[in-house]
Amino acid sequence: MGHAMRVKYMDLPRQFEDGAVVAQVVEEFKRCQFVLGPQVATFEARFARACGTAYAVGLNSGTDALFFALRALGVGPGDEVITVPNSFVATAGAIVMAGATPVFVDVNAEYLMDPARVADAITSRTRAVIPVHLTGNPADMDAIGPVAARHGLAVIEDAAQAAGAAIGDRVVGSLGSAAAFSLFPLKNLGVAGDGGVLTTTSREIFDKVMLLRHHGLRTRDEVDSWGYNSRLDTIQAIVADAVLDGLGDVTATRIRNAASYDRALAPLAPHITVPPRRPGVRQVFHTYVVQAEARDRLREFLESCGVETKIHYPIPIHLQKAAEGLGYKRGAFPVCEAQSERIVSLPVHEYLTEAQQQYVVDRIREFYRR
Amino acid sequence: MRVPYSYLREQFADSEPILRDIKGLLESTQFTLGPPVAEFEERFARLCGARHAIGVGTGTDALFLSLKALGVGPGDEVITAANTFIATAGAIVQAGARPVFVDVLDDFNLDPGKIEAAITPRTKALLPVHYAGQPAKMKAVMEIASRHRLPVVEDACQAITAAINGTLVSNFGVAAGFSLHPLKNLNVWGDGGVIVTNSQELDRTLRLLRNHGLKNRDEVEIFGYNCRLDTLQAIVGNHLIRDTEAITAVRIKNAFALDAGLVPLVPRVRLPRRLPNERHVFHLYMFEADDRDRLLAFLHEREIEAKVHYPVPLHLQPAGRRLGYKDGDFPIAEKQAKRIITLPVHQHLTRDQVQFMVDSVTAFYRR
Repeated sequence: MGHAMRVKYMDLPRQFEDGAVVAQVVEEFKRCQFVLGPQVATFEARFARACGTAYAVGLNSGTDALFFALRALGVGPGDEVITVPNSFVATAGAIVMAGATPVFVDVNAEYLMDPARVADAITSRTRAVIPVHLTGNPADMDAIGPVAARHGLAVIEDAAQAAGAAIGDRVVGSLGSAAAFSLFPLKNLGVAGDGGVLTTTSREIFDKVMLLRHHGLRTRDEVDSWGYNSRLDTIQAIVADAVLDGLGDVTATRIRNAASYDRALAPLAPHITVPPRRPGVRQVFHTYVVQAEARDRLREFLESCGVETKIHYPIPIHLQKAAEGLGYKRGAFPVCEAQSERIVSLPVHEYLTEAQQQYVVDRIREFYRR
Repeated sequence: MRVPYSYLREQFADSEPILRDIKGLLESTQFTLGPPVAEFEERFARLCGARHAIGVGTGTDALFLSLKALGVGPGDEVITAANTFIATAGAIVQAGARPVFVDVLDDFNLDPGKIEAAITPRTKALLPVHYAGQPAKMKAVMEIASRHRLPVVEDACQAITAAINGTLVSNFGVAAGFSLHPLKNLNVWGDGGVIVTNSQELDRTLRLLRNHGLKNRDEVEIFGYNCRLDTLQAIVGNHLIRDTEAITAVRIKNAFALDAGLVPLVPRVRLPRRLPNERHVFHLYMFEADDRDRLLAFLHEREIEAKVHYPVPLHLQPAGRRLGYKDGDFPIAEKQAKRIITLPVHQHLTRDQVQFMVDSVTAFYRR
């Protein structure tokens, strides 16, 4: 074993080290338009263009973006919304927030909604389907879309981890009625606090969300319908706009890092299962998730070598205490449950050096050779 | 003479110290619930003389989360004032409940005498508003609440450090919501809010609710929300909270100077009664004025940025009418909506600007 090396899961401080963002914040802040300043609209227009949608709306979080999509589509108490149990809790949380009931379906080998299981989960109360582009890998929208359409259901993309992902030349954000993106700091497109974006090509959804995010205020004095307060801060829009410039490079680097992992780790099968690929699909690798034998011991070993790894996520949503009332039991989603025991996320971020990556690979090889 | 309503450029003319800390944040990158949030919460609780403060996304969310933590939901009713900012009622609707409005007193706050008639078996909470920075009649409100075993959530969004007989707002009800919106007496550089409570149990529930119900990184105890005060905004708050007492003192001084200048115009104007045991912190300086719309236009001509908070009471908004309310339901709030006017009262006003406002209102009525 060579000398130890520290490999952090993400190297966030590097993102802002050149000081350009601070300079921009200072410059723009002389105007003191802290709430819905012009920079919000500038970022929204650029983001919509990047997603190939007519509209983008800056919100306080990715969670709120999902929630607003549901609200704008009229989803509420008594309704059911189909999604997956292996996402971050906010996916189900947004459904509960809307007063509806999350109905889970199992996932496939790609950690994505299994389109074959969607039809079985549909009831007379189902109103929408939320496929999650988990890890930055687009769900199988070409299979899910027709099932939803056949039953008159809206499709909302949970693209919180997937800015820039695409199926062919169709970019996520434009593949359903609406899509939710997160600008959380650890995301590929991350700001300096909480932030989210909803994209849509429906004028009706756009109009509703614009009202909902700002107290339902049509003008300063006129309240059309009750709303919420969920605005992307101007200061975060300035950061987002600056970070958006670099998203192409960030994504390219992550994709390159993922490809190197694939090459190096594929030979370790069956100890390690690298992420499956579909031809023509652009995965943007918010996370690089492998399945590993003796996962917990591997993580401990890597940790002892200075390599930080994570699990996204160790407890599926249907087995969380919060979900007790939904009535699911262990065994309800065998694929998801089996994966949750084996998955581990390796550092794949844009600041990872070749030497660091080689070091991670060498340590994993070493672990399985012992 | 120009008398602008907003003073943010003056307030942040020298923001070097704040920007220095923000640069530090970009290096530490603890953007989400970083140490400055806990530090701000501690200072905020101390400023309110209360045990717990929880930083959240907005003042609206502070009210909404407080109601949720108390178990308010669909089928329930919450009683509040008819003349408040839309978000008070919005937070009730957001919780799934129905806002039930009551009329107000001459001081623009809800009339405790009207509360009991509005209580039904579905009433789950009272939500008095300390409007403009003037504390509501909390002694009477709390008596009614305890008689009917109803929790009280204070809408203190405009009222940081307001007090009655030395008791600071947020110490009457089980929880209070504060806003850190840029134009508030204690403000940040975007949206922010705080919940203050003396209940340890509510504190724990609210901390779960604001952060997805996460007990730790991996365990979800209850389904929650994403309503966190950004670390970045907490940094700004930590700088500005040191000035809150001084800022409030200047606002109170400005308000009393306006009072003294406008009193000779009674009865053309009507100033709310100032009670020595009540500390009004003057987020807004509001009074009633004869011929309000022409006065407003006259002041605007003189470049005094007067405003109206708000010209249409909530029950007469399209969203309120859909609840079944109609003209005449709350005669005092409706009458006030036609007569109220708000003058700039902020801490960056000069003595000349205050005098100019007094002279201008006087000139209007003496024409």
